[in-house]
Amino acid sequence: MSDYRAIKIERGSGGFGGPLTVMPRDGKDKVVFITGGGAEPEIIEKIVKLTGCTAVNGFKTSVPDEEIFLVVIDCGGTLRCGIYPQKRIPTVNIMPVGKSGPLAKFITEDIYVSAVGVNQISPADGAAVPAEETAAKDEKKAEEQKAEPERKFKYSADKKVSETLGETSKSSIIQKIGMGAGKVVNTLYQAARDAVQSMITTILPFMAFVAMLIGIIQGSGFGDWFAKLLVPLAGNGVGLIILGFICSIPVLSALLGPGAVIAQVIGTMIGVEIGKGNIAPSLALPALFAINTQCACDFIPVGLGLAEAEPETVEVGVPSVLYSRFLVGVPRVLVAWVASIGLY
Amino acid sequence: MSYVVNAAEGFMGLFDAGALTFVSWVSSIVPKVLLLLVFMNALIALIGQDRINKFAKLCSGNVLMAYGVLPFLSAFMLGNPMALSMGKFLPERMKPSYYASATYHCHTNSGMFPHINVGEIFIYLGIADGITTLGLSTTPLAIRYLLVGLIMNFFAGWITDFTTTFVMKQQNLELKNTL
Repeated sequence: MSDYRAIKIERGSGGFGGPLTVMPRDGKDKVVFITGGGAEPEIIEKIVKLTGCTAVNGFKTSVPDEEIFLVVIDCGGTLRCGIYPQKRIPTVNIMPVGKSGPLAKFITEDIYVSAVGVNQISPADGAAVPAEETAAKDEKKAEEQKAEPERKFKYSADKKVSETLGETSKSSIIQKIGMGAGKVVNTLYQAARDAVQSMITTILPFMAFVAMLIGIIQGSGFGDWFAKLLVPLAGNGVGLIILGFICSIPVLSALLGPGAVIAQVIGTMIGVEIGKGNIAPSLALPALFAINTQCACDFIPVGLGLAEAEPETVEVGVPSVLYSRFLVGVPRVLVAWVASIGLY
Repeated sequence: MSYVVNAAEGFMGLFDAGALTFVSWVSSIVPKVLLLLVFMNALIALIGQDRINKFAKLCSGNVLMAYGVLPFLSAFMLGNPMALSMGKFLPERMKPSYYASATYHCHTNSGMFPHINVGEIFIYLGIADGITTLGLSTTPLAIRYLLVGLIMNFFAGWITDFTTTFVMKQQNLELKNTL
């Protein structure tokens, strides 16, 4: 019996899920690829080399589910990317596709990994536990019994799988073009999906929230009252400088920061006043700087954390950024004021 | 009775005004920002994170690159808050300065490129809305916002270099200046 080894598969740029650790074993040693018109993806060769498994073209030969230890697909997020995760068979998607399609709920990080290229596959150390179909075992058994009769028929084509494979040519130029085009289209599709997602989760809720505030502020007359309070400040350059100064005062700046809500509300109010003609339109530019001198002062530790800063850096960075905001705040408004000459 | 009617009408009126604003935003902003988001997401996916990372390492060489070019491009490519993560290619001492510059970049560039900071876009849009109401184009405002930002954000980063040195002395901490 051939010697099987485990491999570790990580997600690539823009991918989802993983890392998966998989290992073939006797009777369950087939990697099935179901990709663009039956062309063999590059990663198959590497998987075969590292694990010692057998590769099968899923379009040409059907393999019983229980013999499959890994499936490689290039699904753009319609159906196929969910089928094998649903059966709890470890699935590798070449496309950068996350949870999507009608079977999205089965696509989980422990059984699915996407945007996989040759560089994402590496030998696993022996201790790693292969991803196994645990939860859905009973379910799968029942399914196997159902699926077996017809599948067996297709499979016993008097040919070894390796022979079938031998007849399969490596990807031809046409197949390569097809796969490349497919990848671009899928990338665009995924980009659109992400965009719609962030539209729904961040932009629209914020629009609704701010629109409601504006409605209440305008409808109740509070806007007029508050604007009267604000217009002396926002209505001329010096006032804006004072506004910028107040917003940049250390510690106060950190309190004004969260979610940029205060800046957004003040900005909206100034916008309304500009629209009414109470504030000169060219002051819009210094106003943009004045209301945001406290920018991100509440977020410093998190932001430095994103940059993988050490604890000492955060310790120093928080006061340092607060001070620098204070120093640079008023000059920013000044420069913007000068730069607004000739605008409108 | 008429008092109750007036109160009810007044209450609903609050939401009528808000609903009008909401509808105008959804019809004007949402389509444009959505398509821009799609384009940017696709561009980043096609270029690949690896190549972006390589470029960032190159940027840590001098302050102009580190607080001028790198944060600008990171904000453009990655948006808020992921742009802040590019600070990891800089030495510890430069990270607060990069943060100071990059966070500003996530705002000053959002007038031209709303995809950068969709969650906090109303700082710009709120004010720009007034310009639109007057029947003027908001593009000159967006361009100047970006240009003034480009210069002043660099200074924001550079000044932070000095405040960081100051705070290091104050706290008796020494941050590494090398990678």
